[in-house]
Amino acid sequence: MRSQSDIYVPHRHTKQPIKLVLQYALLAIVAFLMAFPFLWMVLTTFKTSGNIFRLPPSLIPDKLFGEDPFGNYRLLFSDYNFLRYALNTFVVATLAALGQIITCSLAAFAFARLTFKGSRVIFGLLLATLVLPIEVTIVPEYLIALLVYEPALQAIGLRWIDSLAPLIVPSFFVGATGTFLLREFFSTIPRDLEEAAVIDGASVFAIYRRIFLPLATPALITLFLLAFITNWNDLLRAVLYIKSPNLRTLPIGLALFQDEYATQWDLLLAGSVVTILPLIIVYIFMQKYIVEGIATTGIK
Amino acid sequence: MRYKAYIPYLFLLPTLLGLVLFSLGPTVASFLLSFTEWRGTVLPQFIGLGNYRELLSSRIFWQVLRNTLAYVAIYTPATVAVGLGLALLVNQKLKYIAFFRGIYYLPAITSMVAVALVWNWIFASRYGLINYILRTLGSSRPPNWLADRDTALYVLVIVSVWKSAGLPMMVFLAGLQGIPKNLYEAARVDGATRWHQFWYVTLPMLTPITFFVLIVTLFDAFRTFEVTFVMTQGGPLNASTTLPYYIYQNAFEFFRYGFSSAAAYLLLLVALIITFINFRFRSRWVHTNN
Repeated sequence: MRSQSDIYVPHRHTKQPIKLVLQYALLAIVAFLMAFPFLWMVLTTFKTSGNIFRLPPSLIPDKLFGEDPFGNYRLLFSDYNFLRYALNTFVVATLAALGQIITCSLAAFAFARLTFKGSRVIFGLLLATLVLPIEVTIVPEYLIALLVYEPALQAIGLRWIDSLAPLIVPSFFVGATGTFLLREFFSTIPRDLEEAAVIDGASVFAIYRRIFLPLATPALITLFLLAFITNWNDLLRAVLYIKSPNLRTLPIGLALFQDEYATQWDLLLAGSVVTILPLIIVYIFMQKYIVEGIATTGIK
Repeated sequence: MRYKAYIPYLFLLPTLLGLVLFSLGPTVASFLLSFTEWRGTVLPQFIGLGNYRELLSSRIFWQVLRNTLAYVAIYTPATVAVGLGLALLVNQKLKYIAFFRGIYYLPAITSMVAVALVWNWIFASRYGLINYILRTLGSSRPPNWLADRDTALYVLVIVSVWKSAGLPMMVFLAGLQGIPKNLYEAARVDGATRWHQFWYVTLPMLTPITFFVLIVTLFDAFRTFEVTFVMTQGGPLNASTTLPYYIYQNAFEFFRYGFSSAAAYLLLLVALIITFINFRFRSRWVHTNN
């Protein structure tokens, strides 16, 4: 990363007020276009139902002045199980992200520091998986789950299909983006740091655990957040594997909710806000880490 | 470091297992399945190239392929261009610029399911925002957008570009900030205008990153699923069905696993051909003299 002073500044005529106003006006117009769906979403959840489809569109959140301004949100949690969906989503996203930092850091350490036969081939295969659309792998993955994991787990009283496991477990096994990201980071760690530990007779695992992991904390946070966001929003696996209402995550819960209550827009949009808001909060506080990860790998 | 020869493989154990169980294994399985007829009940039956033959003679498949190529052909350059535009905007040294960058990236972190509803309203034919504006401007019969066979696919493209442009923006921004300042100083000394600087310094210096963004966006385009799933379900009359959704439909709605695997392999083939073409023409425009 370059320091602030290295950054190219197109022109330094900062003392031209008209130009400055134009610059901010342009930035604000584009910001409005990008944020419009979110603004509208939030606004609508505070409208009374008669006010939602008015043309010209009404800008007044009239529900805010009524008796029960947060009624839509209250209903979601009291009558429609959204608290459960949110909890499931949180569990899935957290565990999957945890799985990613463990698996990817182990693999990245091996690729960055250890020499072994097949290193380049395995790394190449891993990167090649980035090219594979999930459509190519999801059908056999589902069939293997149906025919192998499910009967095997049922024999010991557990389940695979219609459980949260298929949304979490794959993240404990493979992650091309994360491995790539961490390998880049590990490669920048100076070798002197580990040499002292080697002389002291530390094992390879101890070097990974006590030197590389602590030094990579920012990169690990980045990876955790990227994986958290991806898994929070994941829809396809939830559509395939989740059957019980109690196991729904927010994206699938919201999609089915939209099918079922297609007319209650204020309620549906409140559901959308509930689905998005936690991520926006995470993003606001962790922007620095997220941006760095994307700039390094270019991949979500 | 000294270690036994098997130690590195211990570090790679989860990854190797994962490759076998969740990506390469299923990829091979999918390839084998594509030569069978299987509806999940009795055992798969080997039918040779039957699925491929059926696909290539199916009118719907060709329509879906056309949709896919149209989607990719518009979505990819549009996303790259919008991403570059946004990056240029937030590369200005102004107060609160981080705030704007944050807003521009917001769509990229949000769930498609959650924003689909608002976009449905924006493009709704009778109560929608856009048609309200068009009618106010005097259009008597504005398009039906999502309900019209001629426009549904393009609405999906617009929503996808809005949703995805933040990612290329971030990558371009990193690229812009990596361009050495002295190049601009030299250009200015030679009397280059801002436009000349952009055209002769910024753009050429960005070409390697542009190529990278192009390839990543291309793959993204070939796996678009969620926006179709939540906004149109491929309708009306398959007008907005692209290959990923077609594969999903055949596998999980019609339970034709073998057939859908064959479609998945055709998708992979098309994606690889287009990527290959891009690599072929890389040296024509990507600037590399370091």
